[in-house]
Amino acid sequence: MKLNPKLSRRNLLIGALQGASLVLLSGCEKLFDSLSQNKKIQSLLEIAENGSRRAQRLVTPRNKLAKEFDAKDISPKFRANGNPPPITMEYTTDAQNHWTKWRLEVSGLIKQPASFSLADLKSMPSRTQITRHDCVEGWSVIGKWKGVRLEEIINRVQPGTDAKYVVFRCMDTDSDGVNYFESIDMIDAVHPQTILAYELNDQPLPIDNGAPLRLRVENQLGYKHAKYIRALEFVSSLDKIGQGKGGYWEDQGYEWYAGI
Amino acid sequence: MAERPAKSPIAGHLVYRHNRITRLTHWISGLALIILFMSGLQIFNAHPYLYWGSTSDPDKAFLSIAASQDDGDVRGFVDLYGRKIDTTGFLGVQQGVFGPFARAFPSWLTVPGYYSLAAGRRWHFFFGWLFAISGVVYLIYNLAVGHIRKFLFTLRDAKSVPAMTAYYLHIRKTSPQEGEYNPLQKMAYTGVFVDSSSADLAERNGDVTAIEYCFSLAACAFRRQAIGAHGFTSFWRSGFCFFPRTRVHGSDPRLSQ
Repeated sequence: MKLNPKLSRRNLLIGALQGASLVLLSGCEKLFDSLSQNKKIQSLLEIAENGSRRAQRLVTPRNKLAKEFDAKDISPKFRANGNPPPITMEYTTDAQNHWTKWRLEVSGLIKQPASFSLADLKSMPSRTQITRHDCVEGWSVIGKWKGVRLEEIINRVQPGTDAKYVVFRCMDTDSDGVNYFESIDMIDAVHPQTILAYELNDQPLPIDNGAPLRLRVENQLGYKHAKYIRALEFVSSLDKIGQGKGGYWEDQGYEWYAGI
Repeated sequence: MAERPAKSPIAGHLVYRHNRITRLTHWISGLALIILFMSGLQIFNAHPYLYWGSTSDPDKAFLSIAASQDDGDVRGFVDLYGRKIDTTGFLGVQQGVFGPFARAFPSWLTVPGYYSLAAGRRWHFFFGWLFAISGVVYLIYNLAVGHIRKFLFTLRDAKSVPAMTAYYLHIRKTSPQEGEYNPLQKMAYTGVFVDSSSADLAERNGDVTAIEYCFSLAACAFRRQAIGAHGFTSFWRSGFCFFPRTRVHGSDPRLSQ
């Protein structure tokens, strides 16, 4: 009997291998997809975040500054990302009035609850820094920021020792109407480069970049830098903030600690 | 557990070239590298561009993976320094249930298969740490039992590199190998440790935090830039680590006796 030349052992093996790898690949994909949606697996993977935070904090001096750049390094356009700007009547009216009616409300575990106008914030000592904004997606942009150090506000409102986090309440919403919010701990809150910025590249903060006030927390990734801030809240735990993970993106699986 | 002395291989005798910790950490590292690679591609898909320097203008990317549409014909391509290479069927575009859609690396190459930067990062950092810890365990144990000395690349080995290369290229008839590992093997094994720290440093234009140096292979967690580039050099490095092992072991005179 003459063997079909196409049915050689070699071709059979290659065919079997190709078939097997296809089955294996689609099986692997399904496995990783279901593991990625498994709550227990996810909480196991989340252990790494604590490791990253602790290791990073262990080897980084408390007041180590993120790299600052020269004026010539500033990007021609500061790319805006995230939610579109708020479209509420209140926001648009405030913007038309150059934010004279807008106020920053500060509440929570503090001895001196307060609210500040934009003029109040501008009259406080300011810090200017040219830094690089690093998005979690993998792009970067350099801008010059001017604002008031968050520590300046902290000194005025005097949080109690039970205050562990600062929560930033924002005016922008996603397409489902969920407000953006973020939080950082007191270590990052008092970092010299952590500022509430009201100027970008020597101009009043543009609406696309978070007018009238946004957070700059230079040792963390972009999504931590809350835009369109309306209030600060000092809390002892993040459990009851949003879905309990401490931020809008964190509730969707991103790390709360996004140190860089 | 003491290491067994290397005996000359005689038919019927198993030679235990590596101790148990080495074998265990080897397989953990192997699994971790595969997941790091696949979740890394998931992370890269979030912004499939590579740039030189500190900022990212998509028009100035030296490499990008994208899709284009012309009269309903969706093509995927890789753009390398302005030269477009058609990669339809593999990169840039993928066939879905509702027709073709733009996607840099196809879902069968990423962890998870569906698009999720958040989930990709979770997998990546967990296995980054696992990889780093398994490397540290391997290093400490093998330093303690003195195994490292067998493959530490020294000046003496450097002198034998040309001879060993000539031997592999069939120019030279006899192997200059003296110990259990030949000079090229030693160079590869020692190089992996040196290279894994230095390559990350080079990528970052010297702007490095201490932790990045300590755990440079898990360093993407702390990176400020070039997240994609990190992945590509890491992949190159894992190749550097795999390739000599298979290649060199395969032609090791001790095994072909």
